[in-house]
Amino acid sequence: MFKYIWKKELQGELYTWKSMLWLVIASLLFSFTSYLLLTDRELSLLDQTELMLLLSQIIIVVALLIITIDASSIITAEFENATAETIFLAPLSIKDFLLGKFLASLTLWVLLFIVSLPYIIVASSGSHLTMAFIGYTALLGTLGIVGLVAFIFAVSLLLRSTKNTLTTSLITVLVLATPALFSTTLKNNALSQLFSQIDPIDNMFSSLDNVLVDYQTSLLQNWRFILPLVMFCALMFVFLVFAARKFNEEGVIKND
Amino acid sequence: MINKKCFAVLSIGILVFILISSTFARSLPPPLVINITSSKTLNGIAGDYVTIEGTITNTGDKPLNDIVTYLSLVDNGTKLPVDLEDWSAEKGLHIGTIDAGQTLPLNWKIHFVKAGTYSLIIIAEAAGYDLPQTSGITQFNVNPKINLNPGQVLPVALGTPVFLIAIMFLLAHRRRVGNE
Repeated sequence: MFKYIWKKELQGELYTWKSMLWLVIASLLFSFTSYLLLTDRELSLLDQTELMLLLSQIIIVVALLIITIDASSIITAEFENATAETIFLAPLSIKDFLLGKFLASLTLWVLLFIVSLPYIIVASSGSHLTMAFIGYTALLGTLGIVGLVAFIFAVSLLLRSTKNTLTTSLITVLVLATPALFSTTLKNNALSQLFSQIDPIDNMFSSLDNVLVDYQTSLLQNWRFILPLVMFCALMFVFLVFAARKFNEEGVIKND
Repeated sequence: MINKKCFAVLSIGILVFILISSTFARSLPPPLVINITSSKTLNGIAGDYVTIEGTITNTGDKPLNDIVTYLSLVDNGTKLPVDLEDWSAEKGLHIGTIDAGQTLPLNWKIHFVKAGTYSLIIIAEAAGYDLPQTSGITQFNVNPKINLNPGQVLPVALGTPVFLIAIMFLLAHRRRVGNE
């Protein structure tokens, strides 16, 4: 049954201007930044490793923002357009409903990643890191996005309002992105080190730095960054299960 | 009595002379001659690395201690000094002691960051001297690097958005045909 929801979402999104426009905007951002970064490399102002790191971070940030905006409305729109009642009148479990929506959000990430591939290949040409660049961007991006989408879906089920879900999700992404912007000096602080160790976005960026700048390309060498991301996904999945149970208890029509 | 007065006046006079002469000596630059020998090789294009070569000679009759040399670069267009943060990894060179009559080589690797014309001097400071010694001014040009397709990115940077826009229109066309 989840396939029906997934297919419906894909048709609804990809056959409208909405998602395609997101992809065009993302590709324009990647074009602009990769052109600037490669010009700087030509002027010897930027090493290729730094260029690849910056591009990978831009790909991840753009994907996180686009998917946050998309996922914030994918469930709540059903409540606001009063289509949720019709959907749940059908023999459809909340699990299938969420799984269909989840796969639709992940499909958008896959499409964004496919759009970013030509830029990754051009930026890493001449280095031996092309496969590592592709593999780690895919792995870290997927883990981060799975956790984030689970969080957004849980918030959507609890709040049932696009505006509130979007605001909460964007603020959460900004809070999680803040330690990644800290300088090395600021990261010497014990509190900031602790926050960096558990923060998913900081771990994604640290792992990319480890791979693309320090050439630590094996999974073992990046396990300390991947583990917090796996924990983040597991925690957000538990939060989603809690929200889904609460939704089942309250019913489609919430009695406030 | 007269001898005592004369002695006191003479002592004060000598003291004043020593103070004045030492102050006068300190306000002179150290007896160094700095030459930039690589002026002909300094022209280049943005992104290039070049080596500035020069010499420093102690023309005095005593060794000079704690000598430090550094570059000063002025953008002739803006008439402002250039921040050497991106231009040179080694902003100052600590030479230490130069014996009387000794000549030592100097060299800096600098990175041409921005197109323009620049004035370059080498400055040297020595312990015990308040004023620095400078080299003559060397002018050099940095030509712009014009490459419209850095790293072969242009086909990807233009092609990918165009390809996606084409798909977007194709899907819109299919949807319209389907609705009809």
